[in-house]
Amino acid sequence: MSSASSGSRATDVRVRVRVNRLVLYTALVVVTGLFLGPFGWLVLTGLKTQGELAASPVHWLPAHVQWHNFADAFTQIDFLGYARNSLIISLIYATLVTLSSAWVGFGFARLTAPGKKTLFGILLGSMMLPQMVTLLPTYLIFAKLGMVDTYWPWVLWGLSSAPYLVFLFRQFFAGLPRELEEAAIVDGCGYTGIFWRIFLPQSWPVLAASFIIAFTWTWGDYIAPQLLLSTDRTTLAVAVMTTYVTDAGTPVPQLQAAASVMYVVPILLIFLVAQRGFVAGMSTSGLK
Amino acid sequence: MTADQIASVTDRPRPLASTGRSRAGGRPRTSVTGRRHRAFYLFTSPWIIGFLLLTVVPMAYALWLSFTTFDGISPHWRYVGLGNYRELFSDSVTWQALGRAGLFAATSVPLSIIAGLALALLVNRPVKGRGVFRTLLYLPAVVPPVGAGIAFKQLFDQNSGAANGILTSLGFDAIGWLADPYARYVLLMTLLWAAGNIMIISLAGLQDVPRELHEAARIDGASAWRTFRSITVPLLSPVLLFQTVTGMIASVQTIMPLLLAPLGDTSGITTVPQSNYLYMMHVFAQYFALGRYGYASALLWVLFVLILVTTGLVFKFTSGVVFYNVDPEAKK
Repeated sequence: MSSASSGSRATDVRVRVRVNRLVLYTALVVVTGLFLGPFGWLVLTGLKTQGELAASPVHWLPAHVQWHNFADAFTQIDFLGYARNSLIISLIYATLVTLSSAWVGFGFARLTAPGKKTLFGILLGSMMLPQMVTLLPTYLIFAKLGMVDTYWPWVLWGLSSAPYLVFLFRQFFAGLPRELEEAAIVDGCGYTGIFWRIFLPQSWPVLAASFIIAFTWTWGDYIAPQLLLSTDRTTLAVAVMTTYVTDAGTPVPQLQAAASVMYVVPILLIFLVAQRGFVAGMSTSGLK
Repeated sequence: MTADQIASVTDRPRPLASTGRSRAGGRPRTSVTGRRHRAFYLFTSPWIIGFLLLTVVPMAYALWLSFTTFDGISPHWRYVGLGNYRELFSDSVTWQALGRAGLFAATSVPLSIIAGLALALLVNRPVKGRGVFRTLLYLPAVVPPVGAGIAFKQLFDQNSGAANGILTSLGFDAIGWLADPYARYVLLMTLLWAAGNIMIISLAGLQDVPRELHEAARIDGASAWRTFRSITVPLLSPVLLFQTVTGMIASVQTIMPLLLAPLGDTSGITTVPQSNYLYMMHVFAQYFALGRYGYASALLWVLFVLILVTTGLVFKFTSGVVFYNVDPEAKK
């Protein structure tokens, strides 16, 4: 690949570089196509008629594009209502968990006390704890406390921080220079003040990454809302999966496809808008 | 990656007051230290309290339930000691579901790590528009599981799916992808679709591999494969270990078979094809369909212990292979 080869073979090398580049771009385009394929197919499915979906052999493109499927998916169920529920719990959880994880991450990155090592070990270990193992008994406890069918569980989960995000913040804060807090301490600023006024404003890439990760978790979560929320307070994820059926109970795939496109789009938009900061946050915090 | 190892790699900032200089007019040093100790607990308390109330208490509660016949409704539940565990160990359905989950993790985790690493190497090359390629390859990873389930269900639909469309246009017979024996491959592909997640983290790891090492290898005449094997992989090994452990845990907990099943509904657990009836499906079946909370709790505790043991074994067997690039400055 090097261009510093001897002059007599310069053309040879140039051809090889060009072939290499062609192979590389072809591989990139093919792989990207494969990865986008399922999503593209979902959009196409959402634009067909029920008849076309049942026909064999497959109809690649809809004979008449059925835009109304998207409108129907919107009106057949209370799409906006479910979307609002999803939005509320995702915002509650993502906001709270980002702040609480930054707060806890600051403690692990910049402060010491006896037992810190043990606590950090438990924190990392708890990342490996299977979530499902705690979720089912948690549901039973929440049921006893009367918190089923409310959004309180997401508030509590948010307030208690998430190990993965704590680790993300801890890595980032640990890498910031010590002078940042030294000056503030000389000025008589407490650790709370240092956190809010100095460290937090420095960490917007990680805040963005954490918020997106947490928002995506909740927006995409299926089991927790299914367990904890009743049919009309539940989230879009559950609704899209379970409610597009005819009166006879058979699923309506084209509506389900249209609805799931609309369900995925907000996440994709958030990601596209924030991906620069997101990737920066993931790499500057050294999560590896 | 144990706590110590992570801490030794990353613990650069030293505690502030270690200079011993007391602030604000000769107050004794201990009060500054004490203040920092109190601050540490103030900052970490949300996690400590949350961990105790939302993890330790539910786990303990589940442990207690696993010794009972509690079903959530009937008041006539009783303590049966190790009865649930005895039943569990003699139940062939449980063993088969566990075996399938183990086999599935053993194939899906290495494959997705290899795929993620290959993607990372691909988009780490200096090509035009690689930011666009990175974004597009990562996109499926942000698609929520429900979206992924529906997308793959449509793709592999017997009549209207693109997969069978390609097969039939080539003159082959259509395949019932979503039923046995093919359902497991669809499940695997659905999870591999999210390899962008691993790509992003591997990419961050690749940025950290010192360029001089690659240049030195090239001057020494090492082939691309040799460089990859002897430099890139060892330096990336902590990342790969992290991926293996978290991937393993996520894999045995996946609910994807449920979302790929004909009618994605937790009560329709029985519609999951046999080859995708993994351990978690078995737990759900006991919990939702049969209401056997005690038995399901025992199943979950067995899973927890198995994950703990497997993770420990993975760490033990990789301790000689995983290479930590410890910053010399961190060691004073």
